[in-house]
Amino acid sequence: MINRRMGAIVDRGMAPLLLIPSVLLLLLILVGPFLYMVWTGFTDLHFALPGREGSFVGFDNFRRLVREDHIFWHSFLLTLKFVVWVVIIEFIAGFALALLLFHFIQKRRLFLTLLLVPMMLAPVAVGLIWKLLLQGDFGMVTYYLRLIGVIDERTAILSDSSLVLPAIMLIDLWQWTPFVTLIMLAGLLSLPREPYEAAVMDGAGPLQLFRDVTLPLLRPIIALVLLLRGIDAFKEFDKVFILTGGGPGIATELLSIYTYRVNFKDWDLGYGAVCAFMVYLVVLILCAVFYKAVFWGGGQRSRRAGFAR
Amino acid sequence: MTISFDQVSKVFADGTIALDNLRLEFNQGEFIVLLGPSGSGKTTACRILAGLEQATSGSVSIDGRDITKLPPRERNMSMVFQNYALYSHKTVFENIAYPLRVRKIATGQIDEKVREIAQLLQIDAFLNRRPSQLSGGQAQRVAVARALVWNPDICLMDEPLSNLDAILRLQTRTELKRLHGDLGHTFVFVTHDQEEAMTLGTRIAVLNEGKLVQFDTPKRVYHEPATRFVAEFIGRPAMNIIDGEIEAGIFHAGGFEISVPQQPDGPVAMGIRPEQIVLRDRATDDTIEFELDVIELVEPDTLLFVKNNEAALVVRVLREVGQLERGSVVHLELPRENRHFFEALNGRRRI
Amino acid sequence: MTRAWKTAALAAVIVVLVLMLLPYLWIFLTSFKTRLDALADIPVWAFAPTFDHYPKVFIDKGYLPLVWNSIIVATFSTVLSLVVGAPAAYVFARFDFRGKEDLFFFFLTTRMAPPISIVVPMFLLFTTLGITDKPIAVILAHTTFNLSLVVWMMRGFFDDIPRDIDEAAMMDGHSQFGTFLKILVPLAAPGLAATAVLCFILSWNEFLYAFILVAFEGRTLTVGIPGLITPHGTLWGQVAAVAVVATLPILVFTFIVQKHLVRGLTFGAVKG
Repeated sequence: MINRRMGAIVDRGMAPLLLIPSVLLLLLILVGPFLYMVWTGFTDLHFALPGREGSFVGFDNFRRLVREDHIFWHSFLLTLKFVVWVVIIEFIAGFALALLLFHFIQKRRLFLTLLLVPMMLAPVAVGLIWKLLLQGDFGMVTYYLRLIGVIDERTAILSDSSLVLPAIMLIDLWQWTPFVTLIMLAGLLSLPREPYEAAVMDGAGPLQLFRDVTLPLLRPIIALVLLLRGIDAFKEFDKVFILTGGGPGIATELLSIYTYRVNFKDWDLGYGAVCAFMVYLVVLILCAVFYKAVFWGGGQRSRRAGFAR
Repeated sequence: MTISFDQVSKVFADGTIALDNLRLEFNQGEFIVLLGPSGSGKTTACRILAGLEQATSGSVSIDGRDITKLPPRERNMSMVFQNYALYSHKTVFENIAYPLRVRKIATGQIDEKVREIAQLLQIDAFLNRRPSQLSGGQAQRVAVARALVWNPDICLMDEPLSNLDAILRLQTRTELKRLHGDLGHTFVFVTHDQEEAMTLGTRIAVLNEGKLVQFDTPKRVYHEPATRFVAEFIGRPAMNIIDGEIEAGIFHAGGFEISVPQQPDGPVAMGIRPEQIVLRDRATDDTIEFELDVIELVEPDTLLFVKNNEAALVVRVLREVGQLERGSVVHLELPRENRHFFEALNGRRRI
Repeated sequence: MTRAWKTAALAAVIVVLVLMLLPYLWIFLTSFKTRLDALADIPVWAFAPTFDHYPKVFIDKGYLPLVWNSIIVATFSTVLSLVVGAPAAYVFARFDFRGKEDLFFFFLTTRMAPPISIVVPMFLLFTTLGITDKPIAVILAHTTFNLSLVVWMMRGFFDDIPRDIDEAAMMDGHSQFGTFLKILVPLAAPGLAATAVLCFILSWNEFLYAFILVAFEGRTLTVGIPGLITPHGTLWGQVAAVAVVATLPILVFTFIVQKHLVRGLTFGAVKG
C-alpha cells in the first residue's frame, strides 16, 4: 500500500510546541523522581537512624538485596506466584464468561453493565468490602463458608497463613474477571465473519472453528489482556494493604507491600530505593513485552489495524 | 446432478426482502453466474445455496433431495470469498490442506492433492509462505485452490474478482474460464459486473430487487433481454432507451418519429444498442437526421452523443469520424432487426 | 438442544452476576444497619434501616472535606492531563518525526509505572519543595498516569477523524493550531469527554500516591478509609457509609462512559 498521508501540515514548528509541555511535565513528575530514586539507591539515606544522611555507599544496597535479603526474595517469589495464578485463572474464567455471553446471550448490555461493578470500585473499597465479609466473628462470607463446612468454627481466613493468599487471589479474581470478559467480548464482537464462513465451508465443526479461527484471530487481544493483567497484578498494593497489611507474618507481603514497609515503616530509604527500582524494572520489562506483542505485531504503522473494526 | 431453488424467499430481520420467490434450476458442469446490482439478492441466493443463510421459505434441493436445512459442511460445496478469507496464521500449504484435514484425509494423500492443485494454479512456489506475504492475485488463487482441492460438488464464488485491480481481474477471469474447461466443476459465480458475467457464464441469472428477471445464455441475455432492466444492465455503453408511443405503425417520442411497422399501438419504450446503430455518410430512406452533441474517443471506437428533438442516443462507431464536429448533422440508421420494444407499464419485452 | 444450552448459559451468567454483585450489595446494606445488625453472628438480610451513619461519619467525624479533596484532586488532575495531553495526542496523530513511536512508548511506560516505586522519591522531592499534604502534590502524582492515558486514548480518537477534515479546515483558512482547536477538538469531543471521565475515575480511586503524599488536611476519601479500621471496635456502619460514598458516584460515571471503556482500559488497542 502507498504511504499513509499524515494529514495537512502547514506549520511544522507547531509540533514541538504542542508536545513539549507534556514531555516536560513527565520529566518533572516521573523522570525526575525516577532518577532521584536511582541516586538514593546508592546512598545510605535513613530517616530513623541518626548519622545516615545520604552519603554515597556504592553498590552496598544492591549487594544487600541480592545476598542478604531473604524477605525480599520471598516477596518476589510470592508476587510471581500471585501474578501467575491470578492471570491464568482470571483469563480462563473471564474468557469462558465472554464466550458464554457471546454465543448464548443476545441482550447482554445489562449483564455487561452490572458486571463492571467490581472492577470500577476503588481497590481500597474492594479491600474494605472483603475485610467486612471475611471478618472472623461476624463476616457474612465466613458465616456461610462455615455453614457449608468449607472452613471450621475457629478459622478466620484473613489470619490463617495457608488460606490468606488463596483468599486474596480469589478476591482479585472477583474484581478483575469482568475486565477480561469485557475485553475478550469486545474482541469476539470485532471478529470478521468471513473467516468463520470460510472455515464452515471448508467443513470445520464448532471445536475446529474455535481452535483454527477464533483463537488465532484473538491472539493479539489475548496477549494484550494477559500482559495488562500481569502488569497490574504485579503492582497490586491497595487491597492487600487494607486486608492484611502483608500478614499474618509475611504470608501476603507482596513486593509492593514489602517496599512500602522498608521505606515508610523502617524509613530505610536508601535500601528502599533499590527495592523500588527492582519493582520498576520488572514492570518495565513486562511493559516492553506488551508493546512488542501487541502494538508491533504487524509493523508499527498498522498499530491499530490488527483489531480495529 | 440437478440443483434447484424452489420458490426460495429471504426476508431479513429488518424487513428487507432480499430474495423473492426464486425459482432456478441448473445442472452439473455449468458455470452459472448470478448477476445483479447491489441489493438484488444475488449474494443472498449464493449464501442460501451454501447453507450460510437460511431461507425464510421455499426449498433448495439437489437431485430432488431437500438440502434446505442441511448445515454447510454436509452439502459438499466450497466457497471463494471476496476478501479471500485465508487463515493468516497458516502457511499457504496448510490453507489449501485445511478442508482435507478437517475431512480426515490421510496425510500422504493431502500432500499429493495440495501439490497437484497448487501446480494447476501456479502457486506451487509459494506453498511455504504466509498469506500476508502474497499479492492479491496470489491470495485469490490460494482461495480458489482451497475451494477446489477436495473436489466439491459445487464451487461457489462470491464476487471473487472485485478486490483485484483491473489487469489482474482480466487475467484471473481468463484463468477461471480455463479452469472450468479443464476440470468441469460446477461453478456458481456472483458478480455485479456484466462483462464478467458475459465472458464466464454458461448461463446467467439476472436478478433485480430480489427477483429473477432472466435466466439464459449470455448470447440470449444480450440479444433478447427479457425486460428493460436486463437490456440496460447488460452491455456498455448501455442500450439506448426512448420512451414514447406507437400510433398506426409510427413511434413518437416528443417530435422524434420513426416507422415501426407490425408493432401494435400503445405506450412503449424502444431500445437499440449503441453498437448496432449504423452511421451513414448521406441520407437514405432508412436514415434519420440527428444533431451531434458530444464526441468521445474511446480508442479504437468513437462514441457519438446525438439528439433529435427529445430523443437522445449514444452511437458507437468503429471507424474514423474525423470530419464531424459538434453541431454536425449525422444520418443514422436504426436497423429494424436490432430494435427492442418493452411495455411502458412493466418493462417486459414485447413479443 | 440449543434452547437447553441457552437456558443453562443464562443460569450460569446470572449466578456469576449474583456473585459479582452480592459483596457490593452487602456493604451497601451495612451502611444502613444498626451496630447490632451489622455485628450479628448470623448475617442479617432484612432489617429496620438507620440513616445515622452518613451524617455521623461525614459531619461529626469530619469526613466531608475528604470528599471535597477527592473532587478537587480528580478534577484538577483531569484538567491538567487533558490540557497538556490532548495537544500531544494531536501531534502523535498527525505529525511524523523521527523517534515518534519510541516517545509514544515512553508515554505508555509512565502509565504502567508502579506507584510504589515512584512515590518514594516523589515524597522526598515534594518534601523538599514543601508541597506535601497539599492537593497539588496528589494532583501532580495522579497526572503521571492520567497524562499518558489522555495521550494514548486521544491519539486513537484523532486517528479516527479523516485527514481530509484537516485539509478542508486549512483550505478554509485555519492555522495549524486553529485546525486543532476549532475543528479537531470539537469533532473529538465525545472521546474527550469519555477520556475525562476515565481520568476522573482513575484519580478518584487512586490510593497509594495519596496515602503517602497527604496525611492530614489534604486527605482524599480513599486515604480516609484505612483510618476507620481499628483492631477493635471498628464502626462498620460508618466504614460502609464511606465506602458507598466513595464508590457510588464512580459507578454512575462508569455507566456513562461504558461505550468507551474498553478502549480506555486497553489504551486504544481494542475499540469496544
